[in-house]
Amino acid sequence: MKNGNGRLKKMMKANRSKVNRRTFLKLSALTGAAAGMGPMIDLFHPSHVLPLQKRAQGPLEEKWVVTSCLNCPARCAIRVRVVNGKAVKITGNPFSVVSEGKICPRAHIGLQVLYDPGRIHFPLKRKNKEKGNGIRPEWIPVSWDEALDEITRHLKSLRDRAQAHELLLFCGLNPMSAEDMIRRFADAFGTPNLVGGNGLDAETEKSGNWMADGHYQNTAYDLDQTNYILAFGADMLESCRPLSRFLRKWGRLRREKPNRTKVVVIHPRYSLTAAKSDEWIPIHPGTDAALAMALAHVIISEELYDKTFIKNWTAGFGPYQQLVIGQYTPKAVSKITGIRADTLQRIAREFAQTKPAIALRGNESMAWPDGSYTSYAILCLNALVGSIDVPGGILYQENPIYQEMPPVVEDDIARRGKAQPSLDFRGTEKFPAAKVVTNQIPESLLENLPYPVEMAMGFNSNFNMMAPGAERWDKALRKLPYYVHISPFMSEMAQYADLVLPSTIFLEEWGYDHSPPGSGVAEAKIKQPVIKPRGNGWSAIDILFELSKRVKGGVAKSFLNIGDDSKGFVKFRTATLAPWEELLTKGVWTGEEYRYKKYDQLFYTPSKKFEFYSGNLKCLLASMRKGSGKDFDYLPHYQGTKFLGEKGEYPLILLPYQPLMVIENGSQNYPWAQEIFLPMLGIGWDTLVEINTETANRLELKDGDVAWLESPFQRIKAKVKCSEGVHPEVAAIPLGQGHTSYGRWQRGIGSNPNEIIGVDYDRISGQSAFFNTRVKVYKASVG
Amino acid sequence: MARWGMVIDLDKCTGCQACTIVCKVENNVPHGSPEEQKWRREIYWNKVIAVTNGKYPRVNTQLIPMPCMHCDDAPCVTVCPAKATYRREDGIIMQDFRKCIGCKYCIVACPYGARSFNSKEQEEKEYHRHDLPPDRLAWGPWPFPSRTHGVVEKCTFCFHRIDQGIKEGKKIGEEVVPACVEDCPAHARFFGDLDDTESEVSRLLSSRGWSRLREGLGTKPKVYYLSK
Repeated sequence: MKNGNGRLKKMMKANRSKVNRRTFLKLSALTGAAAGMGPMIDLFHPSHVLPLQKRAQGPLEEKWVVTSCLNCPARCAIRVRVVNGKAVKITGNPFSVVSEGKICPRAHIGLQVLYDPGRIHFPLKRKNKEKGNGIRPEWIPVSWDEALDEITRHLKSLRDRAQAHELLLFCGLNPMSAEDMIRRFADAFGTPNLVGGNGLDAETEKSGNWMADGHYQNTAYDLDQTNYILAFGADMLESCRPLSRFLRKWGRLRREKPNRTKVVVIHPRYSLTAAKSDEWIPIHPGTDAALAMALAHVIISEELYDKTFIKNWTAGFGPYQQLVIGQYTPKAVSKITGIRADTLQRIAREFAQTKPAIALRGNESMAWPDGSYTSYAILCLNALVGSIDVPGGILYQENPIYQEMPPVVEDDIARRGKAQPSLDFRGTEKFPAAKVVTNQIPESLLENLPYPVEMAMGFNSNFNMMAPGAERWDKALRKLPYYVHISPFMSEMAQYADLVLPSTIFLEEWGYDHSPPGSGVAEAKIKQPVIKPRGNGWSAIDILFELSKRVKGGVAKSFLNIGDDSKGFVKFRTATLAPWEELLTKGVWTGEEYRYKKYDQLFYTPSKKFEFYSGNLKCLLASMRKGSGKDFDYLPHYQGTKFLGEKGEYPLILLPYQPLMVIENGSQNYPWAQEIFLPMLGIGWDTLVEINTETANRLELKDGDVAWLESPFQRIKAKVKCSEGVHPEVAAIPLGQGHTSYGRWQRGIGSNPNEIIGVDYDRISGQSAFFNTRVKVYKASVG
Repeated sequence: MARWGMVIDLDKCTGCQACTIVCKVENNVPHGSPEEQKWRREIYWNKVIAVTNGKYPRVNTQLIPMPCMHCDDAPCVTVCPAKATYRREDGIIMQDFRKCIGCKYCIVACPYGARSFNSKEQEEKEYHRHDLPPDRLAWGPWPFPSRTHGVVEKCTFCFHRIDQGIKEGKKIGEEVVPACVEDCPAHARFFGDLDDTESEVSRLLSSRGWSRLREGLGTKPKVYYLSK
């Protein structure tokens, strides 16, 4: 009894102001109603009866601020509700035509990005000189002045020695405005080594386009009017960009137009998109190009193609037709893809006869060693049915034209630096059409190719988490003599920094942005601070302004007359679009209405037409003396898939997919995203490897087993999920988890497939291949 | 008096779960943690569930967004011993946190799993969202500035928006809708008066085939699903 009373007193103390009917009942149940009644009744003071809601104190100060999101590269226009200095709600901006003012679920999570408890607020200097995964850096807070001085010393020493090219800049997910600034800094400083993240997931589509029409850019789609979508490995409702547009237009495609659009998804995995589509056709991984060619075979042999477009606006149709008819019969391709010949024929007829139709590409079909050709092959299907630059077809994204900056003041040091080859072998024989080869960097750093790097700066990048062969990045970063990381939080890459500068997040800074691609129509979005920065962070633009001043010389001169700070810079650049006040209140500027069928000025190819036989590629390779005499190399084609690992030892193909809830800023420390991470499987907070039930039976794996996934390179653990929605030879696993750096909502949760994915590239664009690694899966012994 | 109901078009729905998140934002529903998910103690007022049938390659997964069904004949109301769960005149099933004794009878009685028990301690600050002002105003536009443990909670059809909207003379279902309807990117959700034949929800229900979940139980849910 004594004990009981003591406990009661303790509980009462804890609940001092919160005893209400419910806790009262609980307490009475605990001690026996009679014994405890006396002292407790006194506690029922009126003010304690309703502790649930407190009445308002003070005035309510509310405003809506227009700005734009940056939780993925789509950069959608948003409005933020701010109450008494706190952001409490994010919603879409109706002026945006990309998504008709709607936003995807990720955008709402911006609130948790802003108020992430793991954000850093002061510059931090590393004390422990030893670097590595799991090694404590022992950060010491330093002042901005001290930090910038230190960086300036390093930067200046590079330029003093005329070795400006030994500076390497990483660019992760940043606003376009910051990207422009970083590019300018690289230019003025004199380094050819600015490496962005596009080389991981955006380049094969571009190079495929460039081979056909000369546009090295991602494709936009006229989703309002299309009547048929054939999606090759495209997770339209999960990871395709711009996601908000696909989500919004999905409603339109299905029920907001006279005839409902049919969607067919070709994918080795029953993705969320496949689940919402009308037909799911599983395909052998990596054979999408063969399928595209076979569809072309049916369309051409049955004369279902758009003869007028082919005749007037295309070139190279002859050799293409010859190849398609000769080599890619439905029967032959059926063996390659595992899709029945009659299904294939039916799909081809539907696609050609339901107008307008779109053949859409996603990473699962293109992030392969021959990804550019796959991209090219699928684009050609659109040309066959005349879906190029027509209502309901594919569109050519227009971009806002910002105010031109004065030319960079290039001094001798800068000129000499930039004359050096780039670390990532872009535009060389190795990667002829490449603009950036992100994943080449670790090799270059480790082997001093073509020269050693003295210093690197990372702007919100997190490549040792997001790139295949993640371990190599760790090694390379460890080797870097001096690394500065600029980010709002302590990401995996920041763990290797000698100095970390806290940057603001998109809700705290000035910027401008546009979606690559968006709706086709040019659209610029403003970024303005919705609240005061939470800590002592600076925006990347302001950091670069300050650094340029300190480095002096040509660098400093290059940053004159473009505004003096981030706000001034944005104001300067957007002056061509709309009056400043209008931008700040409307948030969005949109260009002229889209003009279709601009065929006479659309194609940047030798023939000035859409090319089934790539003149662009032929010219490029010829200029590098790499070209072959074989026409095959300049036509879209499929020629088998090169896998990493032997089939005998590694029977399954790893399919690392990106669920919708992956926030693409390099962090995942957001409970709202984490708890509903895998909606198709009904779980969050974890990585589950999906294996076809029959395959799992053969491997003696059950639901919930913890298993090793082992590739020829490394192994990781994940829980097994037996699934009816996965190709029997595939192990499907979500990307996005397995963070090791900071935050209780991400650290140690799940595993990172990038650790086991082998390193391979598309040989035209240099984009990383993600899907050609083989694995074996076996039960991990308990304990 | 109106009878509020919701129509969810499963053909338009993309399973993106924006509804789940905006509901948490609007109503300050606490987020969970790995441990809470393991013990099934997370709180959702709206959750998208996946139901899978079939064998490879003929598999079918339905993604079904599930708010409270606001049944006309609600089992939770019948079983509540404290009369904490009650039906408003406009058909919204409400939960009075002041009366709730946390017995969880309603959780057992609800055939839709729409109710969650808040087992978080008041002192446990972690679920208080970092992004909310500490002085979030109780009786203003948000109903639940701070929360309490030991009660059962669930979707309210954002009654605070509706009540406020009616006060301001706005059209409910057009100008004012629950948060999940407002921020659904696919426009898959509709809200309005089921008794008004002119309302969009009534129009949709008369033009398309629809179903309600567990119709056989006789609960008469006011959330309708339009199928493909």
